[in-house]
Amino acid sequence: MTLSERTYTSAGWLFPAVATAAALAAATVVDPYLAYVATSWLIFGLLGLSLDIVWGRGGFLSLGQTAFYGLGGYVGGVVAINVAALGSLPLLWSLPAGALCGAIAAFALGAVIFLARMGPLQSTILSYTSTLLLWSVSQSFALTAGAATIGGDNGMSNIPGYAIWSRDPAETLGPAGVFAVVTIICAAVYFITRWLMTGTFGKVVDCIRIDIQKAELLGYDVRKYQIASFAYAGAVAGLAGAMFGAWSNYLNPSIFSVQEALLVPIYVLVGGLGTLAGAFVGAVAIGGLSFWLGGGAVGGQTTLVLGVVLVVLVLFLRNGILGTIGGIWAQRLPGRDAAAKEAGAVSIDTDVLERLLEDAARQFGPAKPLVTRDTFKRFGGVVSVNKVSRTFAPGQPFSLIGPNGAGKSSYLKTCIGIYPPDAGCISIGGADVSRAPIFARVRNGLGVKNQKPQVFGELSVFDNLWVAAFARTRRREAADRIADQILTMLGLQHQSGAAAATLSHGQQQWLDIGMVLCLAPRVVLLDEPAAGMTNAETRELSSLVRTLARHMTAVVVEHDMEFIRTLNGHVTVLHQGAVFAEGDIDALRQNDQVLDIYLGRRRHV
Amino acid sequence: MEPDYLATVLLSSVSSASILLIATIGLAVVFGLMGVINLAHGEFLMIGAYAALTATQRGLPFALAIPVAVVITMLIGACVEVLIIRRLYGRLFDTMLATWGLSMIFYQLAVLIFGTVTPGIGMPQFGITIGRYSLAGYPLLMIAVAALMLAFVYGLLTRTVYGMKARAAIQQPEIAQAIGIESARVNTMTFAIGCGLAGFAGAVLLPIVPATPAMGFAFVVKAFLAVVVAGPVALTGSALTAIGLGGGASLTASFLTSVAGDAVFFVATAALLWLFPLGISASWRRRM
Repeated sequence: MTLSERTYTSAGWLFPAVATAAALAAATVVDPYLAYVATSWLIFGLLGLSLDIVWGRGGFLSLGQTAFYGLGGYVGGVVAINVAALGSLPLLWSLPAGALCGAIAAFALGAVIFLARMGPLQSTILSYTSTLLLWSVSQSFALTAGAATIGGDNGMSNIPGYAIWSRDPAETLGPAGVFAVVTIICAAVYFITRWLMTGTFGKVVDCIRIDIQKAELLGYDVRKYQIASFAYAGAVAGLAGAMFGAWSNYLNPSIFSVQEALLVPIYVLVGGLGTLAGAFVGAVAIGGLSFWLGGGAVGGQTTLVLGVVLVVLVLFLRNGILGTIGGIWAQRLPGRDAAAKEAGAVSIDTDVLERLLEDAARQFGPAKPLVTRDTFKRFGGVVSVNKVSRTFAPGQPFSLIGPNGAGKSSYLKTCIGIYPPDAGCISIGGADVSRAPIFARVRNGLGVKNQKPQVFGELSVFDNLWVAAFARTRRREAADRIADQILTMLGLQHQSGAAAATLSHGQQQWLDIGMVLCLAPRVVLLDEPAAGMTNAETRELSSLVRTLARHMTAVVVEHDMEFIRTLNGHVTVLHQGAVFAEGDIDALRQNDQVLDIYLGRRRHV
Repeated sequence: MEPDYLATVLLSSVSSASILLIATIGLAVVFGLMGVINLAHGEFLMIGAYAALTATQRGLPFALAIPVAVVITMLIGACVEVLIIRRLYGRLFDTMLATWGLSMIFYQLAVLIFGTVTPGIGMPQFGITIGRYSLAGYPLLMIAVAALMLAFVYGLLTRTVYGMKARAAIQQPEIAQAIGIESARVNTMTFAIGCGLAGFAGAVLLPIVPATPAMGFAFVVKAFLAVVVAGPVALTGSALTAIGLGGGASLTASFLTSVAGDAVFFVATAALLWLFPLGISASWRRRM
């Protein structure tokens, strides 16, 4: 690895560490007024960080971060004033209180949004509404809590400033000291966040952003991850609010204002969406710019300038400062994705596979049958699944065939949980899962490969498999081992570090199948797995499915009759949503009625 | 409770629901036909209000000031579509951010040009009496205006060539292009119409809601919510949600307090979104 490569991979902690050290060194020499103003930039950066967690990594554009920020500020202020009156150190209590309050508010809002599985638009508008609601409520909200007084439009004053040694509220730190303290807190939060978001939790959050359905098909309860990261971001925003209150010694409802809320996505976009550190870069850049322009922390026409900046950013500079630099730098490095182009053919080693499957059976019990009884699904006037009752058991592969629109995929999606059935019942290994969400069925032993290859394109090939293996084992070492085995079996060792998106279509199909194998499912559903594969690959796939069927229940939806013939299993023909005929493929080929519906001849159409 | 009072309350609730509907229709048209949420919708309302105000101050009768407001907002809307929205097709959230920035620009420009306080215009003085109660006539007139706007939009979309093209472009964009419908031009028209409807709303509501730079924020929060709760079938859905949510909130407000009315609105919104996470019309079969 060259120096440039090593620096690139460690840029996320190296440069922030250098910047922290530089800021601490500069604190002693810069002009006190600049230090005072620059402190606010760092606090805004922290607020930006909270949005970047939610938006850049989680994929949910929240316009409610200032709501948590403002709540944290007010609660932190109330706590600080009361604690100071009692003669204790205000910061020690106000910062955790602000963070806690932000976390609780975000948890509540996140629970509503994510548990209901709201659409992205609905979520964003709801978060925006909560900001606006707080803005209007806070303007007339008056409360006296102990020594603290919140006076509606007049806000709350006399919030104790930064003091870390003395308990005398009069002896607060000077601007340079405050700047240093805020720098250290921001750096600490940044490194904790980075650690969290590059670790297992962050990987799963990334997966949810890239393909939420696939993440759930791996058995992750995506809602919990979404709520958890939203609550964490809320804590960061609340902390920033409490720090802001201590910095300005005064808060008023304008903290909830639309202008304030507008700044947060600007910071994130200027710095670079999803980079975490970018939020600070953006806040310092925007703050520095308006300082240099003479506006100070709040300039005269700031709103106008910021509105223009936001429009221009969205239109022309979507990657921001860090995103652009990172992109240019990455281009100059020897490509880790180059390996993807020189991949060999996949060859399934049946022995390795058998051993894996036997391992899985020992660990997770025997194969489970998949049973549907009178399963019924209707879309408007179209009945896609019409009272289908089937029992799929291990031993031989099951195929579902039928002409286009016969309801094969709809039936499969009903079994998976993508479509809730209108009537009837679905069970896996005797457990009724008719109403269960997707991830619960997966945890019950279901493994699904959808028609299109679903891989997490931005993640490396190895990480794709690892995330799948971790979903099942919940242990890192075990996940490492399983991912390695499957990687070797797929013949993708040399592509291990390449981004999954750079693989060819066929390789992505195999990677997707590999992810399903990592789950060691007890029932596996494959929707047109041979689509887009070469003849050689189709042969491998056929042998794979036959091996799988010996160890688990395997159901395949396919159009390729030749492929189905090589599976040599039980075939069910669906027509107009209902079971039309069944048997082995050769018998069905002789069946006139089946030919009628395939060829569109009159009698059974 | 005496029937006169009940009738008065009902009438005024329907009237405030209609006012919400008037403010919402433009947003619903743009969202329903282009899939774009225009966060600057409130500012177009504000522009319409100021345009009508300025026109009346120059001596134009109010009835003629309204078309002036519509033309001005339509022109601005067309420019915005060509300069910004068009570059962001298919990027819902980027469009939202860009129009959000735009709303701040309009807001600040209005502050610069008109200041923060402006004189209102007097409400036309006529009214009706029910028993002992009397109601101002102009707000009641808004019920008819809302109905007319709905009928106008419905007619526009079903009876005109533009409307057919617009519906074709939203239902099957690729096929529409394949048979020679230039969707970009249709979209510019749609966005301009949506903004024009906002301008009309701002102008026609001017006697009730005086023009201020910040009127947009205050006004459209509920409009956004109505459209978002309505979901994909924006027009019918928004008409329902605006009347239902707005009427319910206003009924509550007249029996309790206005804060309680707002609370009912937001709680009902959250409950509806909980029940219909993709909007109430997500599973409807009609498309308008």
